[in-house]
Amino acid sequence: MGFAAWLARRIAYAAGLLAAVAILNFSLMHLAPGDIVQTIVGEMGGASEETIAQLRKSYGLDRSFPEQLGIYLGRVATGDLGTSAYYNQPVLNLILDRVPATVLLVVAALGLAITLGTFLGVMAARFPASWLGAVVTIVALFGFSAPVFWSGLMLLLLFASVFELLPASGMYDVAQGATGIAYALDVAYHLVLPAGTLALIYLALYSRLSRASMLEVLGSDYVRTARAKGLSENKVVFKHALRNAILPVVTVAGLQLSAMLAGAVLVETVFTWPGMGQLAFESILRRDNQLILGILLLSAVLVIVGNLLTDAAYRFIDPRIKTGG
Amino acid sequence: MSGPLLEVEGLKVEFDTWDGRVRVLDGVSLSVSPGETLGIVGESGCGKSMTALAVMGLVPKPAGHVTGGAIRYRGEDLVKASDGRMRDLRGNRIAMIFQEPMTSLNPVFTVGDQIAETARLHLGLSPAEARKRAVEMLRAVHIPEAERRVAEYPHQFSGGMRQRVMIAMALACEPEVLIADEPTTALDVTVQAQIFDLLEELRAAEGTAIVLITHDMGATAEMADRVVVMYAGRKVEEGPVDAILGNPAHPYTQGLLACRPNLQLGHAAARPQLHEIPGVVPPLHLLGRGCAFADRCPRAMPRCGEAFPPAYDVGESHAAACWLLEEARAA
Repeated sequence: MGFAAWLARRIAYAAGLLAAVAILNFSLMHLAPGDIVQTIVGEMGGASEETIAQLRKSYGLDRSFPEQLGIYLGRVATGDLGTSAYYNQPVLNLILDRVPATVLLVVAALGLAITLGTFLGVMAARFPASWLGAVVTIVALFGFSAPVFWSGLMLLLLFASVFELLPASGMYDVAQGATGIAYALDVAYHLVLPAGTLALIYLALYSRLSRASMLEVLGSDYVRTARAKGLSENKVVFKHALRNAILPVVTVAGLQLSAMLAGAVLVETVFTWPGMGQLAFESILRRDNQLILGILLLSAVLVIVGNLLTDAAYRFIDPRIKTGG
Repeated sequence: MSGPLLEVEGLKVEFDTWDGRVRVLDGVSLSVSPGETLGIVGESGCGKSMTALAVMGLVPKPAGHVTGGAIRYRGEDLVKASDGRMRDLRGNRIAMIFQEPMTSLNPVFTVGDQIAETARLHLGLSPAEARKRAVEMLRAVHIPEAERRVAEYPHQFSGGMRQRVMIAMALACEPEVLIADEPTTALDVTVQAQIFDLLEELRAAEGTAIVLITHDMGATAEMADRVVVMYAGRKVEEGPVDAILGNPAHPYTQGLLACRPNLQLGHAAARPQLHEIPGVVPPLHLLGRGCAFADRCPRAMPRCGEAFPPAYDVGESHAAACWLLEEARAA
């Protein structure tokens, strides 16, 4: 199957999947106790039955569930994600303002975890009897065991409070008002801690995974062939073995993109990183249903796009994968 | 050049295992001259493949060690050669093809890339020249539509075709020695014959010395000029192929030859029963001082368990290591 046909098919699947996600999300939100009207009434300090009924009507909450669902899906299909009750702004605009920060955080963390994790794993496999193997095992055990909010707080304490090397929160220094390259550097500087925290757990996983995978590949017949050609050990490891050994890492990275987005919610909250995760956290506290639904849908889009990219990368790395959807 | 191209003398290889240090090769000697085919035969685990890996400088580390002997290529001792020197020779002057064509090619690179890689590494060819060389080599091993297939991946080739690719890869730099480690074991019988024809053709054309490792006596008869028979890490008999097949001196060689099935038509009951050598190759860490074959030998004597016999000449450049030969001589 050609790449274009494959892509078209995958996009059709993605549309169906998104519709299912939208229905499921809406149903779940409907099942959850409480709604925006209760929040408003709570903040108002109470209201009469009449006012509540009026408010419910204005938010369309007086209609039956299927009706509400139909209206919601109809709106979503036209690209209208509704209006946030709290911000009184279109949900889409609110989210799109936050998406770049989250994507930056997740991509940076994923990139760091994959490159550094794979490198550590490969080196540990290449020198199995060295201290490096032990270091990788310990880092992996620690990184994998520590919950992300705890390791985030610890890193925050260590690097922002004890040593004062890195900023504790935010995405850029408002006081500097930098532009261009200076702004990018400032963002990168603020990115180190949150991305490092988010990467830690995956770094651990990928280093273990790539070490095991590399050890297996290094024992394979085609690696022996590569050695018999007279290639240097570095070429054998980084050219012939790595491309085969990295497939499991790519698979797991793709599968875990959604977990990483969930982790981003915690990291963004700890480091007050102005991304979707932080917005989601606040919206849940505020029962801002339209905004939550929007964020969930956009997250689904991100995960689907991520999986699509993973599959594309798979096809690129392994020429045997050319069939099926 | 006169004399052997590659000469192995008294080679000893040991491995560290859970059962202690085990001697995998014990004083193996052999030689091969330009244009000659040397067959190495023996059961699984007798040290055939380890001999080949030792020549290539590919004894698995860190468990394996070459602890004695010499491997001389044009007089240069490869046991003492540096890693860099070995890399220069490997795949260039001394090349090897393996038993498993299905898994010996890297699945993520095109066959052309894999052949061209050797040519670029050792011959210093440009990418374009190396690709041309890859097409040439595919033609040389009779792969049809070489220009198109050079861009294909290993999974698009059959087993026999993959072994041809392996041969093309090994011969890309016109090596002087080709070590073929059971090159046809994983292939269909008809494909086996094609691969042997191909090796024979290349030897005739290029004068390549071939070391053919096999447990197939039929293949040995067809291909080899001389034969070395190995058992449990030692050479037990060596000689010209006619002498080994026609007049084997060592009981192990006699046993191996008797194991060949005789193709006869007729009722199953009427066919002679297939001969086998009783027992198995002993675990290497349990080898004693004596002849390792003694336990399985139909003609073993008390002294066989006491010391390993020296090699006795039994004919024109034909020798075997067995005490029976001394008895015969004394009688």
